[in-house]
Amino acid sequence: MSRMLKFKIKRQDSKDAAPYWEDFTVPYKSNSNVISCLMDIQANPVNSKGEKVSPVVWDCSCLEEVCGSCTMVINGQVRQSCSALVDKLEEPIRLEPMTKFPVVRDLAVDRSRMFDALKKVQAWVPADGYHDLGPGERISPEHQHVAYKLSECMTCGCCVEACPQYSKNNDFLGAAAMNQARLFIMHPTGKNLRNERLNVLMQKGGISDCGNAQNCVEACPKSIPLTESIADLGKQVSKQFWNNLFSS
Amino acid sequence: MDAHFIYRRLHSLTGIVPVGLFLIYHLYIQLYLHSGAEVYNEVVNSFYDSPLALWVLALIVYIPLIFHSVYGAMITFEAQAQPNYHYFAHLLYWLQRLSGIGVLFFIIAHVWNAQLGPLMADTWGTHFEHLAEGFADPESGLVTKTVYVLGVLGATFHFANGINTFSITWGIALTPRSQLRMRVISVITFLVLTVSSFYALAAIW
Repeated sequence: MSRMLKFKIKRQDSKDAAPYWEDFTVPYKSNSNVISCLMDIQANPVNSKGEKVSPVVWDCSCLEEVCGSCTMVINGQVRQSCSALVDKLEEPIRLEPMTKFPVVRDLAVDRSRMFDALKKVQAWVPADGYHDLGPGERISPEHQHVAYKLSECMTCGCCVEACPQYSKNNDFLGAAAMNQARLFIMHPTGKNLRNERLNVLMQKGGISDCGNAQNCVEACPKSIPLTESIADLGKQVSKQFWNNLFSS
Repeated sequence: MDAHFIYRRLHSLTGIVPVGLFLIYHLYIQLYLHSGAEVYNEVVNSFYDSPLALWVLALIVYIPLIFHSVYGAMITFEAQAQPNYHYFAHLLYWLQRLSGIGVLFFIIAHVWNAQLGPLMADTWGTHFEHLAEGFADPESGLVTKTVYVLGVLGATFHFANGINTFSITWGIALTPRSQLRMRVISVITFLVLTVSSFYALAAIW
């Protein structure tokens, strides 16, 4: 008999249903990742007790750790399930949905709050209209070096899942959205919305709700310097604070 | 910009100025415990000779301290435990909250013991004797000493680590390297203040 992999999966049948744990065993294949094992369960949805159950639901898309949709809590740590190789995981492999977002079903969660946060900080370059705006400003290699790293964010949710200040009971924007605010403030055209972005960051749920636990930067699968972004914005809002008080 | 932001920034600021500066001054004064009862009492009482003493106490110490501790306690209860993430800065995050709550209780006991108690018992002025007797008490002396050691440790840690988080919050230390430099400063601050206050306490141990 070939080697079997043990999985413990936290399941939830619908949005408001109570969660429960279910065990599965999957035939071991070398170099397989958590998603390929979930696909095996989907093909043969039988739990460890031999009962036929509904297949486990999860979210995934790119399978190369750039889209962020397959993020879940694996053995207690938040990460992408596509890049979680079973050879490097301790058994039984525990899979749970992220705890900071509403569960849609099983391991699939609704990350709308993160995308709403991006809208709040206007994480885009304002370039509306059909008329010719002319060429964009040239960007120096130094600028590009910093901005490229910040732009690697895939809004996966690892930073806010690990954050002790981000909870279902508050409206904290979280590290990902703040990092994008910094990125687009840096941009030569994006900087037109600088004051609007900073004023959003200076509201409840903004930058002042950061508690400096710095879990975000440790949990980030893309190694984005999130705490540097937060400190940089801290400096900018400090100046804005001063201007709002004495120069406006 | 809303009131929430201003409260948070005021909370961050008051921790350093004036509360942190008062802590340094207060721990410095305690070194006079080594100069004996007469000098120590004179140093402490001379502050109260000023007609502005109560105003200074209220504006520089009590009001900022009460704001900082009450608002800080409120912030603490907003935090959500993340026990699976074992990072050093995360440990400091929780120690900052734990020490804050601990020091709040210590300060209440300390103000009662050193200020309000003697005032009400009409034994105000003999600060050195009051402290030394408290430490030497055969029944409660050990408890008093333990509470003081923990209180001092909590306060120096909270202030030293607070320098670090203050510098991030206000955007003084931006990069990981500059934040590391700031951490060195806060470790030195912690060591200097702790050693100095333990040395002061040794005078009446």
